[in-house]
Amino acid sequence: MKEKFTDKYDLVLFSTTIIMVAIGIVAIFSATFGNTGGTDFYLKQMVFGIIGLVIMVVISLLPPKYFSKFSYASYGFAIFLLILVLVFGKTINGNKSWFYIGGFGIQPSEFAKIATVMALANFLNPGDSEKNPNKMLDFIKACIFVLIPFALVKLQNDTGTSLVFLSFLLPIFFWAGLSPFVLFVIITPIALAILSFLGQIYFYAGLVVVLISLYFFKKGILLSSFVFIINLIAGFSVHFLYSKLQVYQQNRIMALFDPTLDPLGSGYNVIQSKVAIGSGGIFGKGLLQGTQTQLRFIPEQWTDFIFCMIGEEFGLIGASVIILLYLIIIIRLINNASTSRNKFLSLVCIGFASLFLFHLFINVGMTIGIMPVIGIPLPLVSYGVSSLLTFMAMIGIGMNTYRHRNLYL
Amino acid sequence: MDSAVRKYVFIGISILAVILLITRLVQLQVVQEKEFGKESQKNSIKKITETPARGLMFDRNGKVLVDNKPSYTLTITPFQFDKNLIDEVSSLIGEEPGYIKELLSKAKGTNRFNPVKVKRDIDFKLISYIEENRERLKGVSYQVESLRYYPIKFRGSHIFGYNGEITEKQLEEQDGTYYRQGDLVGSTGLERYYETYLRGEKGSKLISVDVNGREVGPYNDGMNDIKALNGSDLHLSLDADLQEYAEKLMLNKRGAIIAVDPRNGEILCMVSKPDFDLSIFSGTPDAKSIAKLFSDENKPVFNRVTQTKYPPGSTWKMMMGFAGLGSEKITTTSTIACGGSFTFGNRTFEDHGAYGSINLTRALEVSANVFFYKLSLMIGLDNYTKYSKMFGFGARTGIDLPHETSGLLPSTAYFNKVYGQNKWGQGLLVSLGIGQGELGVSPVQMVAYVSAICMDGIYNQPHFVKKVVNQTTSEEKMLQFTQRKIDFPQKYYDAVKKGMYLVVNGTGTAKNIRNSEYILAGKTGTAQNPNGNNHSWFVGYAPYGDPKIAVCVLGENAGWGNQFAAPIAAAIMVRYLSGNSADTYSESNVIKVND
Repeated sequence: MKEKFTDKYDLVLFSTTIIMVAIGIVAIFSATFGNTGGTDFYLKQMVFGIIGLVIMVVISLLPPKYFSKFSYASYGFAIFLLILVLVFGKTINGNKSWFYIGGFGIQPSEFAKIATVMALANFLNPGDSEKNPNKMLDFIKACIFVLIPFALVKLQNDTGTSLVFLSFLLPIFFWAGLSPFVLFVIITPIALAILSFLGQIYFYAGLVVVLISLYFFKKGILLSSFVFIINLIAGFSVHFLYSKLQVYQQNRIMALFDPTLDPLGSGYNVIQSKVAIGSGGIFGKGLLQGTQTQLRFIPEQWTDFIFCMIGEEFGLIGASVIILLYLIIIIRLINNASTSRNKFLSLVCIGFASLFLFHLFINVGMTIGIMPVIGIPLPLVSYGVSSLLTFMAMIGIGMNTYRHRNLYL
Repeated sequence: MDSAVRKYVFIGISILAVILLITRLVQLQVVQEKEFGKESQKNSIKKITETPARGLMFDRNGKVLVDNKPSYTLTITPFQFDKNLIDEVSSLIGEEPGYIKELLSKAKGTNRFNPVKVKRDIDFKLISYIEENRERLKGVSYQVESLRYYPIKFRGSHIFGYNGEITEKQLEEQDGTYYRQGDLVGSTGLERYYETYLRGEKGSKLISVDVNGREVGPYNDGMNDIKALNGSDLHLSLDADLQEYAEKLMLNKRGAIIAVDPRNGEILCMVSKPDFDLSIFSGTPDAKSIAKLFSDENKPVFNRVTQTKYPPGSTWKMMMGFAGLGSEKITTTSTIACGGSFTFGNRTFEDHGAYGSINLTRALEVSANVFFYKLSLMIGLDNYTKYSKMFGFGARTGIDLPHETSGLLPSTAYFNKVYGQNKWGQGLLVSLGIGQGELGVSPVQMVAYVSAICMDGIYNQPHFVKKVVNQTTSEEKMLQFTQRKIDFPQKYYDAVKKGMYLVVNGTGTAKNIRNSEYILAGKTGTAQNPNGNNHSWFVGYAPYGDPKIAVCVLGENAGWGNQFAAPIAAAIMVRYLSGNSADTYSESNVIKVND
């Protein structure tokens, strides 16, 4: 049987990625147009987009066994770099997460994202003996893989990026066979704590949902009531803990939920970005026509706040198209994960899909005021060499998974 | 759970997230579009940071010592600024073009929307010029800032200290995010020590700007503005008149004075000479004067009151008395034979007289060296260290100024480290007994020590600030300083104080400063200095029976204690006790008696 070209090459991932990177370059061009310094950001992004393309294609062609083979080594190296940057790194905007090499800032925390996903996947599925995330010991060991980079990046004072390392943990566990009940036990107390914080009515509604779910899990009265009590405690203790905090700490937490409470800090950006996006309307103001973008009201809008410019100049239509393109990438990655016979690559793809979704939701969410302002980039679009190459390499591995989906190892 | 189901769970969550985002976008861009559109046309927002005025400083009688005056600071906002204007702006402020380029490149990587402070204290004519050429000079503006101004007839250089632009290192290491490039921060003195009280809280204004960048009014009626809160005022224990007098006494001399109220540790005056004019640091710092100041070989920036480590000479002898009494090697009545010299090993230590068998009080009066050579050997190094620590030596006093030295108090461990185990002999104790050798004290330590003696063992932490007053709420905060008791029988203090009384009022080494109106007590000292002329010391207090002021005077390379330091110390005490009226100082009131 003759193989079709599209059986070997994942043209969906490939073409969507190229479109996204191209949109990013245009967006950066507009966001930095007329800047007094750094008008060449879009040129740099273009050069590294081409380099990233080569890397992506090369990665997609490699024999898949190399990925699992080198996953621990690359994880170790990434951790080493994260420690090194803590000691020798340069502080930019309060985050000590940069190396400066020949005029380029490099953030090891970006590369650590890939390495950690691969190490976690390799731990859960080293090829021969599968680990079971439902076993307490395996579960804890697997968590440690994630907690080390999480802690190191947190020490760099980069809370946003550190949270990224937690974002793919449960999805990968779930894909590896974590029972829905365990997942339920982990997630509901956190969800109820947040709900209880938002208001009593939400908390009681959440409790009802938990009760109903527990009935359907049919785990016996003892275990079910235990889980229910944990949820109750989570909901009530959050108020108690909150009342024990200093006023300024309480304010900081409130500002996470409502950034306008902090108009000098994160709230300033949110006010500005909502005005920018809202004023874009359905069709947008057109490239280089955005008053907010062109007047530079949003600091560093070519990095974490690039979506403002997209919303303002391309409108609802442009913004929705971009979000849908992400959805294509995410669903494609999930699809590749599900069709692959290589369990390791399958887990890796799910990890990457989670990373894309998390970045998309948090980044866009913060510019439209529904998520707290934590600085993480918009994948493939935000200006930044480390982040761009990292996400393109992820796509490369996603394409590789597709190409070798019928191989077991 | 089936793996196909798991796949749909993933896809379902992804789609749900995307629907949520797009719904919100529809809400913003379709439903609320008009509202935001209007806002974006008229109400682009610009944020302006307001710098609060620093807190003021007052003396103990409420006199303003450190004040503020308004001044204009030229700023450049990088994102609006056209680099072609660099040459023009440089010539306006009289700087090289490189000056502005450097400042702008330093600001890179920070918010380009924040104005960079370029030059402080600019001329009003320049302000009018900027206003007239506003359209052309895009990004060039000014801020009103308050600068330090000193409405006083003295300098107080080492007390108040100066403010300087925050350094890159300080910016990186700051705790929090309060400071930005170009901000002023207390660099020395009280300005530095009480920085968090003095600086206040920054405010901000959000201003609506139209599409052409012109300001049209406050955003949201100023509801989101935060008022800058001025810094809190410091109320000092300093006596401005006494300080002025003390600085005059030290004119063209090198040394230090510190006087405190021994009952509570409040500092009444503090002089370190040579000093400098603080106003060269206010406004755009006068780079030439500052460079000259820091390269001056007389070290005018160095605070001789808190940072010197000199041997105390004979002013140390009270300390030896307490160590001898405390370790029960002597009593207040026991005597030691004092010939004209003392031989230890093969070395002979001289004295300036032979006094026969004398007790501690008499030994202090005549400053008999042999008495203390012998006493030092009797008590041994461990006791020496132990009792000196009780009077605060070898540790910081905790004066509210930065960079205080803890001095040098020798101990067995110290000598073992310097000379090696068992490689040093008891002979070192002989010199240490009369306050010479490897012993370093600062004038602030000495004044705390003499205060504790005259207060019968109550040791107060010396300090300048009595209370801090919040300018906004008028709330007063009394600062707490430590007080502790050095526990000895009263007769020990009486014996030592009697000796100090006789130094001035008996046949002692400072009878030249006896005063008919106020009973002064004290002790002279001369610290041998291998690098030059001896350092002159005097510590004392007055009135003898009811102490209200304690003082320490140090004259660098000034010779004998009674020659330089004692007359100055006496003049200060008498001046203060007379309600700042009497002036008993005269250069001719000098005798040459060895101590």
